[in-house]
Amino acid sequence: MDKSKDIRTIMRDNAVTIMFVILCIIGLVFSGQSVSFVMYELVGRISRNAFLVLALIIPIIAGMGINFAVTIGAMAAQISALWITEWQIPGLTGFMAAIAMTLPIALVFGFLIGKLLNKMKGQEMIGGLILGYFANGLYQLLFLFIFGNIIPLNTKGLVIQGSTGVANTINLTGDKGIKYALDGIMRLPMHETVFWACGIAALVAIALMALKKIEAKKAIKIIVILAVLVGLFFIPAVRDLFVLTNVPIVTLLVIFLLCLFNNALLKTRLGQQFRAVGQNRVVANAAGISVDTIRVIAIMISTVLAGWGQLIFVQNMGSFQTYGAHEQVGLYAGAAILVGGASIKRATNGQAILGTILFHLLFIVAPSAGKNIFGDAAVGEYFRVFISYGVIAMALVMHTWRGAVKKKKPGEQDMSAVEKG
Amino acid sequence: MKNWKRIVAALLLVVGIVLIVMSVVNMPKRNSETGTAIIEKLRVRSLLSAVGDGVVESYVDIAKKNATEEVKAAGGSLSDLRKAIKEAEEKVRSEFTGDTTDYTGKDMTGVYASLAEYDASLASYADEKALAEKKYYDAHLAEAEALAEQKREEAIAKGEDVPAEETVFVDMSGFTPTEKMLSLRATADEKYKLLGAELMKVEPQLTENALETLQKTVDSVLYQEQRDFASLYDAYASYAGTDVLDDQRQAFIIRYADDFITFGVGFIILAFAIYFYDAIVKALGVPRFIIGLFFILLCLSALVLDLNLSALLSNTVVRMGMNSVMVLAMVPGIQCGISLNLGLPIGLVAGLLGGLMAIEYEIPGIAGFLFALASGMIIAAIAGYLYAMLLNRLKGSEMSVTTYVGFSVVSLMSIAWLMLPFKSLKLRWPLGTGLRNTIGLDKSNFWRILDRFLAFKIGDFMVPTGLLLFMAFACLMVWLFSRSKTGVAMQAVGNNRRFAQATGINVNKMRTIGTVLSTVLGAVGILVYSQSYGFMQLYTAPRQMGFVAASAILIGGASTSRTKISHVIIGTFLFQGVLTLGMPVANELVPGSTISETMRILISNGIILYALTKSGGDTRG
Repeated sequence: MDKSKDIRTIMRDNAVTIMFVILCIIGLVFSGQSVSFVMYELVGRISRNAFLVLALIIPIIAGMGINFAVTIGAMAAQISALWITEWQIPGLTGFMAAIAMTLPIALVFGFLIGKLLNKMKGQEMIGGLILGYFANGLYQLLFLFIFGNIIPLNTKGLVIQGSTGVANTINLTGDKGIKYALDGIMRLPMHETVFWACGIAALVAIALMALKKIEAKKAIKIIVILAVLVGLFFIPAVRDLFVLTNVPIVTLLVIFLLCLFNNALLKTRLGQQFRAVGQNRVVANAAGISVDTIRVIAIMISTVLAGWGQLIFVQNMGSFQTYGAHEQVGLYAGAAILVGGASIKRATNGQAILGTILFHLLFIVAPSAGKNIFGDAAVGEYFRVFISYGVIAMALVMHTWRGAVKKKKPGEQDMSAVEKG
Repeated sequence: MKNWKRIVAALLLVVGIVLIVMSVVNMPKRNSETGTAIIEKLRVRSLLSAVGDGVVESYVDIAKKNATEEVKAAGGSLSDLRKAIKEAEEKVRSEFTGDTTDYTGKDMTGVYASLAEYDASLASYADEKALAEKKYYDAHLAEAEALAEQKREEAIAKGEDVPAEETVFVDMSGFTPTEKMLSLRATADEKYKLLGAELMKVEPQLTENALETLQKTVDSVLYQEQRDFASLYDAYASYAGTDVLDDQRQAFIIRYADDFITFGVGFIILAFAIYFYDAIVKALGVPRFIIGLFFILLCLSALVLDLNLSALLSNTVVRMGMNSVMVLAMVPGIQCGISLNLGLPIGLVAGLLGGLMAIEYEIPGIAGFLFALASGMIIAAIAGYLYAMLLNRLKGSEMSVTTYVGFSVVSLMSIAWLMLPFKSLKLRWPLGTGLRNTIGLDKSNFWRILDRFLAFKIGDFMVPTGLLLFMAFACLMVWLFSRSKTGVAMQAVGNNRRFAQATGINVNKMRTIGTVLSTVLGAVGILVYSQSYGFMQLYTAPRQMGFVAASAILIGGASTSRTKISHVIIGTFLFQGVLTLGMPVANELVPGSTISETMRILISNGIILYALTKSGGDTRG
């Protein structure tokens, strides 16, 4: 293969990501917002959204596409958040209690979702989407007619006099709330964060080199890159870009741990089974893997992670819309991971993080860019919604398209396309 | 297993029959002597309890007067006076609380007779008054409508959001009583004096003065707008209780005979449903069985809750008509093999564009509607063709793609609604940019153009003839098409693509025809919907409509690969019926709740999930 073809392939395979980079640059230029403000917003958005996006990886690898049923995981989190508020458990204790409470609820939900999705193999994504809508109906029943009525709530502000059910907004601020329970543990300015992170990364690289896990050449390369990064932050101009940014260290650490968890999990036996089921269910079945069980486990993991992700989200926001906070979770997370270059068959941690950055960068700049270009902020608002849906539609089209092309070539039979036919 | 079903069914059947027989026997008693006696007794009781209150008031008056005189004679200050009056009042009231006069042993025949006369003459006065007011209302309705229209225009010009209020308010302040009313009132007043005289015989403490002040209360207790047995019973019983009656149980049965019949019918239906469960489920499928039963349950509850069932059913028919074409749009999609066309919003926005143009060019009435249809259909055909080209490359996994393509188109069009160069003030905000969120239709364009065509009323049941004719016409056209050579070929593609290809059918062409047809029907559907609804909704409103249409046809019995016209009609009727009946019934049970919206979410998405488990349910591998 010559090099020009290589570039073309790269361009084609990453069309969405490249298009998004261009869109983000255009948006940044026209938004008229200062870079330091955008960076401040961006770090906040990454810290509260990345976990949710990372929750999508396992089901993609297990061949179930984007798990739009993560909304149900978010519902589990909101049930826990409601009760933590009712019991007035504050701060980190409350947050950890919510984490613990979300776990069993999300496991049960995930089990049920997985069972249902096993009945609609090949249609998991639309199934998950509709299931999310359906669950929203049950959620409304729970919050409108059971909580606050049949099961009374006593904390002030959770139930509004004269209306049925739980109040529209649940407030997590105040000394009894869990706002910033995780974010607030430790915050550092951007340059310090970079110094620490680079320092630790360099130490790890040296340690790995000493243990002969990686080649010396590669380790030196890494250290040089890290050194350049640190050097960059000694330039005042670069530092000024991040002058507003206050990095929630623990939250980012948790996100990093989830990346490690995803990688580690995929190296285990279970992880191999996910891959096997994702690549070809028939072959996996023939190899003695219980395909249905593996799929249910994948969805259960994803649902629990989504629930925790939503808790990270609400502790950062400090309040949430009782009847709306979960609705768009699947859409935004799904769009973000696709923007990062993932497909509905393949996804990595890197793609998830990159996608989160690009997607939310566009979210920050779109309204004011829309206002400056078209004279109306609403254009930008609708544009970013359009982009979210459009990215998913495009990813689905491209995936099926590729499947259809491959199918025509003998010897490259793509099982998924055959099954759907 | 089979036995318990039989036993339960038989038990329910027996209970139902007993209830019905009991009620049918007791129902006619309402208008017989028994019924009249019950009402008379309750009426006198109500009157006496009102009078009793009046007596207490007159004692209070006397006590107050005495207290005032005493304090004045003693030369006390103003605060002493206030205190004394208050004490006197409290004393009298405490003496009389819980104390009811015992009327047994007193001769009440005079009261009975004069009360019946007064009641009758009061009723004739009130009827006359209602008649005169109705006349006045009718005479001034046109004027009020013109005024409302003018206000609407002003609101549009000023750029305010046009209110959704449809009822025209007629100002009744200019109403003056007629001659006949006055004379009837005078007669009634005379009868009241006679009644007062009779009352003073049994209640000697009653004064003329107290009687005069009491008349308003007595009138409001006695006169009920609905003068049938049930309403009178409820009104009087709520005023003074039913313990005056000799046989309370019998009165109760007579009063609730109609509800017992409803319960009886419900039990019998349930008995049949249990007995023939297997056969019915086999014929209809579980979801349709459940939703059908639910619909019947809602009808019966509406009857028991004394809601106006025929008005509700009329509403259901209207909503069936207005949604039917959108649901019909699912048919060609399913038949040509693209499964549920969840990309229906593409057709919907095309139809909305057509409607907007008709208003922009100010084409009035039926011509405007036809123009909207024609232009909407042309846009939809072009968009549908492009959409079909996309879908032809994606055979087999259309559903998730169509959903997101539909969503994308809706949000793309939201940007378009902000930027399209429409000028009419009916369409755009005078201040700020873009088109309004909801565009109110009125008589100058196609507001209810189909609904009003040849519409007539049977009681409270409004028949929207034009709407139903249009629905029938659209269904007929699609049915005829499915019988044509092309239609049959299209269905062959939908049933089995590979087989159709083998027999030499051009698969892509057939899928294109089906998709275009579905999109075009979507455009027609949204216009039919909007003209009946009275508003065109832009921006995010069309996003979920594809799901609503899909769930309706699935409720009707379609699968993701097979359907026919009857599924459209049954499904739309059942779905809309459950929604229209569900809201008032739910509001009666849990006031002010959004439970009917929750119910819509559950039914609509539940049925799609069910269909998905049936279609994609390959368990291999």
